[in-house]
Amino acid sequence: MRDVAFGQYYPSNSVLHKADPRTKLIAGIVYIVAVFLCDSYWSYLACFSFLLIACLVSKVPLKSILKSIKAVLFVVLITVIINVFCYKTGTVLWSWWILTVTDGGLIFASKMAMRLIFLVVSTSLITFTTTPVTLTDGLESLLTPLKWIKFPVHDVAIIMSIALRFIPSFTEEIDKIMMAQKARGACFDNGNIFKRAKALLPVLIPLFVSAFRRADELAMAMDARCYNATDKRTKMKRLKFAWRDLFLALATAVFLALIIMLKCGFFGLL
Amino acid sequence: MKNPIVDVIDATYKYKNHDGNDSENGVTDLTFSIDEGEFVVLLGHNGSGKSTLAKLLNGFLVPSKGKVFIDGNDTADEKLCYVIRSDVGMVFQNPDNQTVASIIEDDVAFGPENLGVPPEEIRQRVDRALKTVGMYEYKDRTPYKLSGGQKQRVAIAAVLAMQPKILILDESTAMLDPEGRKEVLDTVKSLNKENVVTVILITHYMDEALDADKAFVLSRGKIIKRGTPKEVFSDAEAVKEAKLELPVATAVSEELRKAGFDIKPTLTDEELAEEICRLK
Repeated sequence: MRDVAFGQYYPSNSVLHKADPRTKLIAGIVYIVAVFLCDSYWSYLACFSFLLIACLVSKVPLKSILKSIKAVLFVVLITVIINVFCYKTGTVLWSWWILTVTDGGLIFASKMAMRLIFLVVSTSLITFTTTPVTLTDGLESLLTPLKWIKFPVHDVAIIMSIALRFIPSFTEEIDKIMMAQKARGACFDNGNIFKRAKALLPVLIPLFVSAFRRADELAMAMDARCYNATDKRTKMKRLKFAWRDLFLALATAVFLALIIMLKCGFFGLL
Repeated sequence: MKNPIVDVIDATYKYKNHDGNDSENGVTDLTFSIDEGEFVVLLGHNGSGKSTLAKLLNGFLVPSKGKVFIDGNDTADEKLCYVIRSDVGMVFQNPDNQTVASIIEDDVAFGPENLGVPPEEIRQRVDRALKTVGMYEYKDRTPYKLSGGQKQRVAIAAVLAMQPKILILDESTAMLDPEGRKEVLDTVKSLNKENVVTVILITHYMDEALDADKAFVLSRGKIIKRGTPKEVFSDAEAVKEAKLELPVATAVSEELRKAGFDIKPTLTDEELAEEICRLK
């Protein structure tokens, strides 16, 4: 079995792990909004400190968090390069052919890089501390108001949780099919990118066929277990809002207020 | 006298061919009944109509002719559809394709959640169902890592949580190794004895019918033999027609009898050994 990024949950019993997924999702959204409100260095420092505290509280090892940054490092680098060369206000520091670097460009690029890194770390912190199933539950609960406009919230949640549940089954299936095709002389590792893509076709077709067969059987099994029997579906595990959620919500609110005050120049800084 | 919990009267169901005519597959003129608490085995080879019969019993299919009653409810009545499906729990062949959630207890809770059972009661039902099949310690784990037999036991628990009166196992042992088969069969047998759930076991392994109260042999959509396992097993003609394979002990005693020995038909190895010892 290859190692599949099945969420990236890091089991622990920290306050963040135990917090309600809805609180975490909302806090995450608020944080992202706050990051985009930032302009001064002080507000970036505030964002950084808030994130650092959250990371420390979550007990997720710093190494795993850095790994999640590594995954997007390429995107960050490209953004930095583009911004450095395209942002043309401020004093010119260096110039060659059509490329010019200004101090304004450097500052802007570094801010963009920080933003991206904050975004990635904050969202991965949510997936580090929440199992995919709990996350789905949280989303379902948050989307409940959409039921008013006849949006099938529960069906969407079920689709998401089934998708998560079938990821390991399908990776296993791909391995099996690839082995079967290799045994019959298929070659997946040679040739240019087009040849390789073409070689994957005999893997994808059986995979799709089996996916449809599975879907058919699963639909029957769900039907046999009375799916859609009643509109008043209940849930065994109800999400509970606890004191830690209140604390988390308050901390996020204070943080947002701080960022807004910094933006409006309440402290007379910058 | 009690009413039978399953009452099939003259039921016919034929699948349609592409041209709209009836195909060979399906079942014709089935009539039988099953009493509460019975352990019934339906034997038949691929294409004998046994899965069609299973689908007729939980209302997935409605007979084109005849009637099927589950605990007095007509499966043709659309309003009773979910009543019937919660009364008739069904476990399918492939354990991987019948789990909905990535955590075992969530999967077991799926049925009762669909029925709108209050959360506290779902918790109790889930715990009880998992304890009954001996999978309680695994409740927080993912079904993906389990063995085939364990997965099927979870599937049985998932059905039990709906508190069905009848448990149908549609070839649920076909994909398992011998150990997994034994696990599942032992679970089902104890359910039948201790919790008085009516069990209908559909299989092509004849040895699974040994402990049944009744056995039906299906071939080409018809019941060609019915009776106690012993009666069914000793009808070599019917077994041959249904393309089934006799358990070794029965086959040996049959051959010995043909060779001129005075031996009774035997079902288990122990019986066979006794019979042979008696011969001298």
